[in-house]
Amino acid sequence: MNKDKSLEALFQAQKPHFTDSEQFMARLTKRLDAVEYIRQYQEQTIRRYKMIMVATFVVGIISGAATIGFLLSTPANVPLFTFHGQTGLLIWLIDNSRIIVSTGLAALMTLGIISIINNVQDIRQMQCEIS
Amino acid sequence: MNRETFITYVEQEQEALRSFLFALCCGNKDEADDLAQDTLVKAYLSSAGYQDKGKFRSWLFKIAHNTFLNHRASQHYTENIDDDRIKSLPLGGDGEGSYEDLYLALSTLPPKERSAITLFYLTGYSIKEIAQITETSEDAVKKQLSRGRDKLKEKLKL
Repeated sequence: MNKDKSLEALFQAQKPHFTDSEQFMARLTKRLDAVEYIRQYQEQTIRRYKMIMVATFVVGIISGAATIGFLLSTPANVPLFTFHGQTGLLIWLIDNSRIIVSTGLAALMTLGIISIINNVQDIRQMQCEIS
Repeated sequence: MNRETFITYVEQEQEALRSFLFALCCGNKDEADDLAQDTLVKAYLSSAGYQDKGKFRSWLFKIAHNTFLNHRASQHYTENIDDDRIKSLPLGGDGEGSYEDLYLALSTLPPKERSAITLFYLTGYSIKEIAQITETSEDAVKKQLSRGRDKLKEKLKL
C-alpha cells in the first residue's frame, strides 16, 4: 500500500516536540521507585509466607506424630483423659476420648492443609503480580 | 534488562512514544503523558522477559497500543460524550489542515484505525510491523489504513 503524500506531510508537519522531557523522566523515576518498593515488599511477603508454610508443615508433622505416638502408646481400654466429676456428659466424654482426640487431630491436620494451600495460592498470585 | 539499561533506552525513545500516544489521544497531552507513564511502568515490570533484538521501540509501542485500547475501553462512556462534542465542531477546509483539524479528524476514527494510521504516517512503520505491534493480520491493517485514510481525507478535505 502506498502512502498518501498529503497525509504523510500533514502528520510530519504536526509532529509534536516536547520540551518537558526532564520532568517526564523525573516523574517516571518516581513511579519506578514506587514500583520497586512494592515489588520488594511483595517479595518479602512471599518469603514470609513460605516460612510460615514451612513452620506450619513442621509443627503439623511433629504434633501429629506426637499425638499418634501417644494414642498408640496407651492401652485401648484405658480412656485418654478423665474428670473428677461423674455427670452424664463427662462420662460420655471419657468413654469416647479416643474418638474425640482423633477427630481433633484430623481437624488440626485439615486446617494445616488448608493453610498451606492458601499460602501457596497467595504466593502464586503475588508472583504473577510481580512478573 | 536492569533499571539503568531500561532508563537509557527510554530516554532515547520517550519522545517517539509520547508523540504516538499524543496522536492517539488526539492532542490531549495530559492523557497521553499519563498513558505513556503507565506504558513505561508496564514495560519496566515485564522488562525481565524482553529479549534485546534492537526492537525496543516496537516493543514499547505494542504495550502502548494495548494500554491505549484498555484505557479507551474503560472510558467508553466519556469517549462517546467527547465524540459528540468533537463531531459538532467544524473542521478546517482550507486544504492544508491545522494541528487542531488533524487531531479532531483523528478523534473521529475508531481506536484501531487511529493506531494504524498513526503508526503508518507518523512513525513510519510498515504494514508488517504494524500488524506485529497491533497483533492483527496484515490484511486487517490494510483495511484499517484504507478506511482511516479515506475518512481523514474526507474530514480534512485533502
